[in-house]
Amino acid sequence: MARDKKLPGWLSVPLSRRSWLGCTAAGFTGLSMSGWLEALARAAENLPARRRSCILLWMTGGPSQMDTFDLKPGTANGGPYHAIDTNVPGMQISEHLPRLAQHGEKLVLIRSMSTKEGDHSRATSLLRTGYLPQGPIRYPTLGALVAKELGDRDSELPSFVSINSYRLFAPNAFGPGFLGSEYDPLLVGDAASAVAAEQEGGQYELKVEDLQPPASIGPEKLTARLGLLGSLNERFLAEHRAAAAIGHRIAYDRAVRLMRSEAGKVFDLTSEPDSVRDAYGRNRFGQGCLLARRLVERGVPFVEVSLNGADNQALGWDTHTDNFEQVRRLSEILDPAWSTLLAELSERGLLQDTLVVWMGEFGRTPQINPNGGRDHFPQAWSTVLAGGGVRGGQIVGKTSEDGQEVVERPVAVADLLATICLALGIDPETQNLSNVGRPIRIVDAAAKPITEILS
Amino acid sequence: MFWSASDVLNCGSPVQTRLGRVVCVWLAVACTVPCALAADAVHPTELDLPVTAIEPAALAQQIDTSLQRAWAAAGIVPAPAADDAELMRRLYLHIVGKIPTAAEARDFLDSTAPDKRAQLVEELLARAAFATHMASVWRELLLPGAYNNPETVGLIAPLETWLRLRWAEDTPYDRLAFELLTARVQPPGGMQAVRAPASRASPLSFYQYNEFKPESLAASAARVFLGVQVQCAQCHDHPFARWKRTEFWSLAAFFTEEAIIASAGVASPGGVPGRSVKIPDLVPEKVVEAAFLDGSSPDWSAEPDSRAALARWMISLDNPFFARACANRVWEHFFGRGLVEPVDDLDAAESAPLAPLLELLAQQFAYHRYDLKYLVRAIVATQAYQQSSRAAADDPDALALFARMSVQHLTADQLFDSLVAATGYRERRVRNQPFNPFEQDAPRAVFRGRFGNQTGRRTEPQTSILQALALMNGRFVSEAADLNSGELLAAVAEAPYLDTAGRVETLFLATLSRRPRPDELAEFCGYVQRSPDQRQALTDVFWALLNCAEFALNH
Repeated sequence: MARDKKLPGWLSVPLSRRSWLGCTAAGFTGLSMSGWLEALARAAENLPARRRSCILLWMTGGPSQMDTFDLKPGTANGGPYHAIDTNVPGMQISEHLPRLAQHGEKLVLIRSMSTKEGDHSRATSLLRTGYLPQGPIRYPTLGALVAKELGDRDSELPSFVSINSYRLFAPNAFGPGFLGSEYDPLLVGDAASAVAAEQEGGQYELKVEDLQPPASIGPEKLTARLGLLGSLNERFLAEHRAAAAIGHRIAYDRAVRLMRSEAGKVFDLTSEPDSVRDAYGRNRFGQGCLLARRLVERGVPFVEVSLNGADNQALGWDTHTDNFEQVRRLSEILDPAWSTLLAELSERGLLQDTLVVWMGEFGRTPQINPNGGRDHFPQAWSTVLAGGGVRGGQIVGKTSEDGQEVVERPVAVADLLATICLALGIDPETQNLSNVGRPIRIVDAAAKPITEILS
Repeated sequence: MFWSASDVLNCGSPVQTRLGRVVCVWLAVACTVPCALAADAVHPTELDLPVTAIEPAALAQQIDTSLQRAWAAAGIVPAPAADDAELMRRLYLHIVGKIPTAAEARDFLDSTAPDKRAQLVEELLARAAFATHMASVWRELLLPGAYNNPETVGLIAPLETWLRLRWAEDTPYDRLAFELLTARVQPPGGMQAVRAPASRASPLSFYQYNEFKPESLAASAARVFLGVQVQCAQCHDHPFARWKRTEFWSLAAFFTEEAIIASAGVASPGGVPGRSVKIPDLVPEKVVEAAFLDGSSPDWSAEPDSRAALARWMISLDNPFFARACANRVWEHFFGRGLVEPVDDLDAAESAPLAPLLELLAQQFAYHRYDLKYLVRAIVATQAYQQSSRAAADDPDALALFARMSVQHLTADQLFDSLVAATGYRERRVRNQPFNPFEQDAPRAVFRGRFGNQTGRRTEPQTSILQALALMNGRFVSEAADLNSGELLAAVAEAPYLDTAGRVETLFLATLSRRPRPDELAEFCGYVQRSPDQRQALTDVFWALLNCAEFALNH
């Protein structure tokens, strides 16, 4: 009788956007539905059968916009670099990114990033989660948010893979936060242990921790063990149809598939021709980009690859001293990797479904300090988008002649993240129930996405 | 001088009878969100709140009666009672944070004492591990996610040690809150290092974690001790919370004494330290006076210390949120969800179906001088707690009304301590320190890093692929399931007095805290006996047991 009288939604199930809106006074919902909603509808129409993926190229430490994508040659702050033409008329970038210059038609240069946070840790949190750390709220990183929206529990591979991440700045900005462990990234190549291995002269390879059992456990023994495990789990699951138990089984199934199946071989880069591996660059970032291509090829929705530095530095882009030598060397790692990634994605027909994002936590001061370095600068800096969901060959915004301020189309963090969401076909206002019991949007509702660059 | 509700209650003051009846102004504000949805059919209806303290068993009975009414109204058939093994494992995990050893499990299962369940509860509550476990749980509340960040990992040990020592002495919860909220903050520059040495017990980790920021301290204190969310009002008036920006900053003003601001290393926020504060980034400028969330102002002549004034108000019997927030959290600890959800946000509590039950629990908690053990005794004595978690179908309604036990993820510490209990691993400990922050490679630290990222309900899926890989292939379990390095496994494999069935049974008791069922015994004994190397085959059995869902979950 009263059995069908359901408990209130908030008591029994996590809030979805719909149920939240459904039970709230209409007052605050009707906002900001115009601009991006249309863009979302358009994105949905254009969305191919294949779901989109995102590759985030994360530049740890904050790259210098003045020496990469927003050069001011010949000015007091310009530094020694020349600007070179790309294959798009009027679009110029650094001379140390010559191969990338051949892909200008794929790139959207956003030269008007304007943010407010100049501390590594807080800015890293801001750019990677969309929010500044606030009390106990544990904001999820972008990869986890995308994995939740675009991931598929039944897929062979995890939905979020994090390569070479240097997480010590702001560890919580690299994790799933309130979305929980289900959206934990699969870590490949822990940056800290990589540095240690190379400092000891060891050869470092990108690998997933604990992907294989100890050498003493051969395939037959592993099969036997998994058989016993399956038998125990089957009995338990039959008697306990509970979310936590089912979640446990899903995670184990996915882990075992990674260990045993063909899918796990995606991490084995030795199957790639030497010429391809060479083209990306035989370094962690280059090989990470190659791995990213292999992963999105197999449907992984979010892969991030960090460029932490040349010479195993952890904060390579944090060029307070000797900026120009350092940025040149970093560019020499970045250029082949990124350009080969774009070329390969394009040749394989993947680029239209794969958004490639290049960003760090902030830019660097236009003025050059006495140490030949540039310092933290959130006021006016650059990020780059390419591929799926955006129309390349464009420049968004403009900075002043001295690079000190944005003079056209300022882009805030939320604006950038909302744009990324829309390019991926995700509603940026999607709400998730947070650990403090409040629903929180993927991107703050005040965001003004750059709709003019969406395809 | 310290004054607390427990002191007053101890004197038999008439204030006792007030708690259940006081209707605060600040509760009278209607909340619009869930009222319309609160189905009255599942409402356990008015409870007659007792006007005096009642024994745990009597409280348990009242809770059961009330829940049974709710089940009947909703047409829910409750789960059958848990068997001894099921309940024993659950009690161990909830009270002392780890599973029993094989010997402990065997002793309990074989005991014929009629009151062995109640005995076990008392025995577990008397263990030092109870205080350790509660310290771990409250540390996570006070310093959420601290072990995922090298900047905060060092704050864990001092606070955990402090909490453990306070609970080992059965410190009433209101006194503990008072001490935490009034802990003396030294101005920087003296001996107070950036973080307290790991060996020292100190509640100051709470302040350091919040970077000595008045707004963070106020928000955390309100969330943890009152179960209300005010931080959304920090920057703007929130559309769906009742707290306004002015009220938020009036609360933050209590945390603006000079030593705190100096420790935060920021410019003075404006206003009179501890008494008022300037709301940042507001045009035109506005200075707000320190005021409690109900709008009342402190009597500075009676209590000149701002944080003491706030703490007194928080733990006062006129403030029902304090007892409710704690009672609800303790209930959540045992059942996997609060009587009122979300536990950090009791603003909506009035209209929640089980709100009267929380009121009963909170009131009795206060009557019993905020004794945590009283709450534990009452909760674990309920039939609701002693129900089975077995269910052939997921039924959110039954779970929401506690008509059966939920299946819960273990916390990182529960999992690690259970692995220690199951494998015989000997953890190296710095004196009295469950966790040495400087030993980042210690297995416990590794586990906390990998398994500590749990948020939300423990009844929701929380297992990650990396966690599964770590347990299947990682060093800890690999060594435990190796005859050369696994302490317990080697002992079981070598024991001359055990036959194969005895060995399998011991491995089951050590991991799942129960004996294998006949079909399991047949399967696992068969596997071992068929193997050319029976000792090696035992490692496979042990490995599977350490990896299975039944081990990884509290059920």
